[in-house]
Amino acid sequence: MKKILGIVAAMGMLLASTAQAGEFADEKIVLQISDPNPFKQTLVLNVAGNVLKHYGQDKVDIEIVAFGPGLRLLFAENANKGRIKSLTSSGVKFSACKNTIRNMGKKLGHPPALNAAATEVGAGVVRIVDLMNKGYKLIKP
Amino acid sequence: MINKNIFKKTLSAAAVVAGLSAVTAVEAANWLMLQGTERPGAAGRAKVWGFVQAQYQTDSSDPNTTGLGDLYVPPKLIGPNLESQSQFNVNRARLGVRGIGMPLDSSVNYFLLAEFGHNGITSNDNDAAVSDASITINTDATRIRMGLFKTPGPEEALQAIHVFDYINFTSVSNQLMLERFTQVGDTNPSPPSAGGPVELLPGNSVNRHSAPVGAFRDVGVQFFDSIKSGKWDHSYAVMIGNGNGLNFGDNNDSLDTYLYWASELQMGGKGPRAEGLKIFAWNHSGTRTHHNDVTNEQDRKRSGVGVKYLKKPFRATFEYMQGEGMIFMGQHRPLHTFNDHEASGYYMDFGYYVPNSKWQIDLRVDSYTREENHPGSAQDDESTFDTTTIAAQYHINKKTRVTIEHSSRSFESETAQVEAQLEGVGARTAVQLTHIF
Repeated sequence: MKKILGIVAAMGMLLASTAQAGEFADEKIVLQISDPNPFKQTLVLNVAGNVLKHYGQDKVDIEIVAFGPGLRLLFAENANKGRIKSLTSSGVKFSACKNTIRNMGKKLGHPPALNAAATEVGAGVVRIVDLMNKGYKLIKP
Repeated sequence: MINKNIFKKTLSAAAVVAGLSAVTAVEAANWLMLQGTERPGAAGRAKVWGFVQAQYQTDSSDPNTTGLGDLYVPPKLIGPNLESQSQFNVNRARLGVRGIGMPLDSSVNYFLLAEFGHNGITSNDNDAAVSDASITINTDATRIRMGLFKTPGPEEALQAIHVFDYINFTSVSNQLMLERFTQVGDTNPSPPSAGGPVELLPGNSVNRHSAPVGAFRDVGVQFFDSIKSGKWDHSYAVMIGNGNGLNFGDNNDSLDTYLYWASELQMGGKGPRAEGLKIFAWNHSGTRTHHNDVTNEQDRKRSGVGVKYLKKPFRATFEYMQGEGMIFMGQHRPLHTFNDHEASGYYMDFGYYVPNSKWQIDLRVDSYTREENHPGSAQDDESTFDTTTIAAQYHINKKTRVTIEHSSRSFESETAQVEAQLEGVGARTAVQLTHIF
């Protein structure tokens, strides 16, 4: 009995860990935003929303990686923060490039205040490569 | 494996949605915010934009026949030149750029717009003119806008002109709010009579004001902001300006003050045509110096209230305005502008957006009464300008529309001389094509 429970527990932990990585999603998509054009902010959010709508929240993993001028999307004051909050509640993840944050901080004199939904990652490009190695498909609207 | 077609469709749909959003993705129908601020974190360094309005107008008024040939007064002629009763014109051609100079810092934004069309701003020298040039600093406490921009005031004046639902302004906005400035050298036409109708001859223009109109603008500093409370959006503005319209300098030591409050129950949508119920009130106060006598000063006061409702398919607007001092007495009578008269007026506007079509129908009734006090007239004589305008708009696309309007006018005066001039004022018809880019 103990062995059975142990096996079940181990399977549960395994499932939990793989589910966090999106292993069971039908599709895994990473969206890149690095463009200074504000129109691209709207576009990348629209694409995320449309993909979610098409596949369903449980069938797709979406991560938006922002770096370079595109990091402005994840500024705390960004006018799209309402949409970011909505997408976050639907499971969309947002990653912010630390290199860009550091460089922007030098220009601003202080690090930019980021949206609470943003997770800082070492380098935006590296994050994209890592995700692609895990089976994510890169879309750059 | 993701089907490529699905992705193409997704991207196309997103592009369309984004494109539509680009048209309206701005602050709610709040002119202070729409014109004075940018979307934080989501505005470019320099967004080039503008619009062109080309029109044809014809006036069916009868000339004044006094035995001296056909004579005309301004209401019988097409502006800004007032030289004929029908004409094509590119009345507005504006090109501007706006944005956030340093995109990383949304606390500072700018707005620059120039007029290349032919209207009261540019009519006298046919050159381009800067109509807006301002910088806004956004702080936690308030927003500070400095430079040349629209003063906070009546809805008809403050709204963006490229989404204005008619071609011509109401009489109350045109006469009471669109300030004309008199300069040294401006004279009333004579002969045949001082300040009377004019014969259309070369060099004998009916338009005797040489300075540009104020264009509802001033150079100064404005403190403003928008405060959201549930579905309500409250906004305020306090401005101090030169009181000299589009002129960058001031001609006296007095500054104009502008106060504005609006509360809007938001009902959906964004941008210039956001839906909601807005109530507002405003007050302007300033002093003008006589163009020929710097010791002679006159207060200029304006105030008003209004309400606007827009929930498609219906729109309704009501505004009431009143003023004291510097009451405009006609484009042909600049020497009568410096006065202490009183005037008031109102308009009611109704719109119907035909469902599932590109058509929009508009109806406007406006009335304006000014104390005449024309030289030689009895005290408190009044002139009244009543106009009923029906209009239709066909929206070719989100950025392009055709507007056609027909105005029936009933202009009367208790002053015999003015009544004689207004005799024969008839209907005016106009068609205008607007394209925004």
